[in-house]
Amino acid sequence: MFVLTLAWKNLWRNRMRSLITIAAIFFAVLLSVLTSSLKTGIFDNLIKNVVGFYTGYIQIHQNGYWNDQLLDNAFELSPTLEEKIRTNKHIAYYAPRLAAFALASSGETTKGCIVIGIDPEAENIITALASRMVQGKYIKAGEPGILIAEGLLKRTKLKLNDTLVFIGQGFHGSMAAGKYPIKGVVHFGSPDLNEKVVYMPIGSAQEMYGAEGRATSFVLALNSTENLNQIANTMSKNLGKDYEVMTWEQMLPDIKQHIGGDTQNMLYVQAVLYLLISFGIFGTLLMMMAERKFELGMLLAIGMKKTKLSILLLTESILTVILGCILGILTSIPLVYYYYKRPIRITGEAAKAYEQFGFEAIFPTSLHYSNFISQSVIVLIIGLLLSLYPVFIVYKLDPVNAMKK
Amino acid sequence: MKFTFTFIFFSILIFCNAQNATEIVKRMDDNMRGKSSQAELLIRTVRPNWTREMSVKTWMKGPNFAMILILSPAKEKGIVFLKRKKEVWNWIPALERTIKLPPSMMTNSWMGTDFTNDDLVKEASAVEDYTHAILKDTVIAQSPCYLIEFLPKLNTAVVWGKLIVAIDKQYFIERYTAFYDEAGKLINIMLADELKIMDGRFIPTHMQMIPIEKNGHKTELYYKSIFFNKTIEDAFFTTDKVKQLN
Repeated sequence: MFVLTLAWKNLWRNRMRSLITIAAIFFAVLLSVLTSSLKTGIFDNLIKNVVGFYTGYIQIHQNGYWNDQLLDNAFELSPTLEEKIRTNKHIAYYAPRLAAFALASSGETTKGCIVIGIDPEAENIITALASRMVQGKYIKAGEPGILIAEGLLKRTKLKLNDTLVFIGQGFHGSMAAGKYPIKGVVHFGSPDLNEKVVYMPIGSAQEMYGAEGRATSFVLALNSTENLNQIANTMSKNLGKDYEVMTWEQMLPDIKQHIGGDTQNMLYVQAVLYLLISFGIFGTLLMMMAERKFELGMLLAIGMKKTKLSILLLTESILTVILGCILGILTSIPLVYYYYKRPIRITGEAAKAYEQFGFEAIFPTSLHYSNFISQSVIVLIIGLLLSLYPVFIVYKLDPVNAMKK
Repeated sequence: MKFTFTFIFFSILIFCNAQNATEIVKRMDDNMRGKSSQAELLIRTVRPNWTREMSVKTWMKGPNFAMILILSPAKEKGIVFLKRKKEVWNWIPALERTIKLPPSMMTNSWMGTDFTNDDLVKEASAVEDYTHAILKDTVIAQSPCYLIEFLPKLNTAVVWGKLIVAIDKQYFIERYTAFYDEAGKLINIMLADELKIMDGRFIPTHMQMIPIEKNGHKTELYYKSIFFNKTIEDAFFTTDKVKQLN
């Protein structure tokens, strides 16, 4: 207790010096929390974009569908299957889809497209399809009508409320043909999707493709995206061998890889950051020890034990580091929150590149608590390791030499 | 001198043989097609996990005209394929439209069967688009047959590199055809059996198209009835007529 009071007093004896050390720690925590939460935020946003875009977090198919995406691999929408999905407590929403290739034709032009039969309401909850509308009205179940991607509409040279004709191969080699009015236009960032996709109520798609009561996939939205693989595994066991349960990581391995690669790169950036932080803190300690050489020498000379002195210095360091950390976290919380609400927006060429891939050109931060804790703990450890330096100096200190001016 | 003589002798022999082979093919073609024909068929597509049946009605006249009307299943009832010369038109009642099949779709499967759209168009040129040579005699299901090699003539748009066809010596009917691609690889085999008398002709009433590389895939045709040489006007094979068939 005596040591603690003395350390506290020492801290405020030379306010400037202590404040500089605290500031070094404070900025260290602030910076690393910000980088870390930005990193997590960017990746979360990327995943949300990609996953919310089309694949969903988990999809269920008939076994073998993903490798051979044919209509013939569509499964039957049985009540038992739906019951199993509905009763799973991890699943917030689910939507069936029936996707297949068709030729879209209007007058002279014919273009290949992917027709996706959807449950309009459920789909909107999961992938926010209605928010991608740029023209017209959203489709309703049981009403004939389609949503067409902007680029495809341009290619077909049609307008809203015109009729688009589809022809293709249906279920089990039957002929798929139908004509539907264009009810709305949707926009996709990815040029690939924007030139290809047509949505219609799943009922219409089933009728056109001769696949009544069937779907090619179930798209699932989860209550929490943590333990994604575990949820997928238990579902897979529950549904049995006839179905494959796939997470977005399995369906989009390239995105997963991209995130993995970027995480690696970010680690190097963070390592450099930690190095800078270490030198910053070390610098202040170095200065402190130089300034207090006489004082410490004198304390030893009048009989203070080296152990006691080390403990005193260590306590001072711990107090400084903890103070800096707490201040850092307290300041970073509103800052991170601000950038979460008002994400950094990228402009110019880079923004276009992002939008081409269908990503929003924003860098939001993540509010996940683990960023705050992990980063401040790392800085704390760096600080504590560095405070061994004063201890080391004290043990080497020779009072006579130290007091020589 | 002696060489020239031998050469001429063999040339004549080969020529006669070729002539003979083409004769056989022509007789077979006349026999199985006639000048015109009307038939009702059942087409069964067999896949490893499912089979599907269609019943169709066909009209054919010479090598240039053909029409196929789908009678069942209900979803596809009324779909018509019309062949005029080298073009194929497709009437789809659901669209109320006639579509000319583009060249890019010719190699696609016809109605999910093992036949391609191209088969509808090219099938008729067995006599004119190929040179024929008798390879040897053979026996299929106890009946003696000629084994004839078909090689596509230059400048003809034939997708196959070679056909080997077995033609029954007695009845001049096709019993077996092997389709080879340009690299000489066996692609499809067609078998014809269940010989019956229909409209006074002895013909195979069951045919199977079997792709070699796809296990468990085949397409079977059953003739329910066929009538030969009934007069059909050329005007029957028009896109206007197609819409009135139903």
